[in-house]
Amino acid sequence: MTHRKLFDKPGLGRQVIRFARLLKAQGFRVFQSDVLNALCAMEEIDLGDREDFLSALRVTFSHNDIEWALFPTLFEAFWGHGWHQEETQKGGESGLEQESLAESRLHPEIVPDTACQGGVESTENDGREWLEGVAYSPVSGVEKKDLSSFDTADIQVARLALKRIMEPFRINSSRRRKKSGRSATLDFRRIMRKSLKAGGLPLDLFYREKKKRLKRLVVLADVSGSMDRYARFVMPFILGLRGIGSRAEVFVFSTSLASISSAVRRMNIHRALERIVELFPDWSGGTRIGYSLHQFNKEQGARLLNKRTVVLILSDGWDLGGKDLLRREMAALSRMAHCVIWLNPLAGDPDYEPVCGGMRVALPYVDYFMPANSLESLKRVGLLLSKVMVH
Amino acid sequence: MPSNYFMSIEQVAEELEKAHYIADRALATVLFLSSRLEKPIFLEGEPGVGKTEVAIVMAKLFDTELIRLQCYEGLDAATSLYEWNYTKQLLYIKLMEEYGEKDKEMMEQIIYSPKFLIKRPLLEAILRSEDKAPVLLIDEIDRSDEEFEAFLLEVLADFQITIPEIGTIKAQKKPMVVVTSNRTRDVHDALKRRCLYHWIEYPSFEKEYRIITTRLPGIEERFARQITRFMQKIRSVDFLKKPGISETLDWAQALMTMQKPYLNEDVVMETLGCVLKYRDDIRKFKKEIWADSGRRAAFL
Repeated sequence: MTHRKLFDKPGLGRQVIRFARLLKAQGFRVFQSDVLNALCAMEEIDLGDREDFLSALRVTFSHNDIEWALFPTLFEAFWGHGWHQEETQKGGESGLEQESLAESRLHPEIVPDTACQGGVESTENDGREWLEGVAYSPVSGVEKKDLSSFDTADIQVARLALKRIMEPFRINSSRRRKKSGRSATLDFRRIMRKSLKAGGLPLDLFYREKKKRLKRLVVLADVSGSMDRYARFVMPFILGLRGIGSRAEVFVFSTSLASISSAVRRMNIHRALERIVELFPDWSGGTRIGYSLHQFNKEQGARLLNKRTVVLILSDGWDLGGKDLLRREMAALSRMAHCVIWLNPLAGDPDYEPVCGGMRVALPYVDYFMPANSLESLKRVGLLLSKVMVH
Repeated sequence: MPSNYFMSIEQVAEELEKAHYIADRALATVLFLSSRLEKPIFLEGEPGVGKTEVAIVMAKLFDTELIRLQCYEGLDAATSLYEWNYTKQLLYIKLMEEYGEKDKEMMEQIIYSPKFLIKRPLLEAILRSEDKAPVLLIDEIDRSDEEFEAFLLEVLADFQITIPEIGTIKAQKKPMVVVTSNRTRDVHDALKRRCLYHWIEYPSFEKEYRIITTRLPGIEERFARQITRFMQKIRSVDFLKKPGISETLDWAQALMTMQKPYLNEDVVMETLGCVLKYRDDIRKFKKEIWADSGRRAAFL
């Protein structure tokens, strides 16, 4: 358990640190204390048993279900099939090769040369290795990347990064009444309760103010061919935002509109979208934004739209339907809702101009027009939402 | 006491089985590590896979008390830690006035003594640890507010509580802590970081079969296999809520009570409510699986 003991097995300790660094490169959130915990756990278990070794590292390094599911693959990649206790204790050259191999195999693009260099340098300077292991994070490289250019290896990293980005946006909406220093309404319940101390004499007065309430979020997502990939990235982000996402009304459209609100509340967005495809076999046709909006306004407008509603549309604006219909429906939408946010992944391009007819028609009725094509721009969307949603 | 109770992972697995909890080796490992390193366990998994059961069985193993804190929205320090019993204090003061007691100092000492304290689960867990550390179960932490999470962090850090009128109370021995979550929201990293994380999967065929036969000793072997096969099969279908082990056990129990120790088409239809809990799921099951004789046969 003591630190001194850990250094009796310098090879293993070093390998665990490298492994932690690999996990970090894959988007895991690794804390300094995790490494320490892992090393403490090593003291307790039989290192000869591969399964126990995996379990011990797994419980210390993973912190959510994505990481949990990802772990065995990464473990396999790093520690390899021919894992022996002797080998790890030796550390040294073979261990290094193994590591850089594992890293490059898993991550051809994201792990830059510096990772390998860092590995080589670390043999000369151990203190530095520690620092690098903690500070180095290729996840930042993922943030600026366009979502559609992600390959399969990146998707997991991106999902983890997304989880992390979401964290600061906490839009609270608890039913608890906020206590307050000054306001006009007296909090009688609290006064009575506290007055018991003084035998029923209300010595202290307490006040309460209204808790900030949240607007309703309505998401209209285009999931036709070109948008499908973006939708699968952006939707988990929006729906994952604490406080608002879990209660948002969600609709998807291509040629027509469908509600998936109840489905996304119980399962993740990927499965919800697959269900839609099952339900509507002729799903991926062209996009008819105008008609879909018309459907929405007609069927759901009265129920969902008022000045406490924020409408978020996710689409690239390529529209096959009539422009007049689109204009009319956008006008109705923006008139009834508090504000309309349009996320268009194409707008991430600095030279972007709304050339396609649909987008040009809709733009005058949009309050906020944002790209949302990379994790970084999603962060900005989160920021905007946390501002407009509160009232 | 728990820190040196277990000597090996094998021992954990054995003792769990003796206590009628069938665990795979990974879960035994995390329980072993948790007791050796004195760290809380953070358990996640689909509803009904036996998260809460882990804490109950650990309390049984250690032969100690289980203190349970069920989280809900609005849970705060007063309902989870301690509160002064104001009414009792007031009555006591009135009583003393009747007797003509004038000593203010003494009075204060009496009414702020532990006798007038309402002990809530967290304080209870700390006080009870004097002779035998209890098992503290913090159930469904995702239901509580984030303010409570931050507060919990403080308590879990060193199991020490300061009550201004009495002083600081510190746990003699760290209780074993099991935190469970159903993932309705993400729990903050700071809390997870202090815990060992474990994800409980739906059980394999072998494991589920063993759970049924251990929990319901009177069950016929063939019948248990039939139920297990049905449950394993039904989990491969995309339902809103897949049935967990608790549903399996409920169902098996129900069938045994109804004296129907076999599965056939009618029996399944009659008791489907034990397995599927959403109207949409039941409808889907009837329409897509039960209407098709080929698929139906595969389930039975």
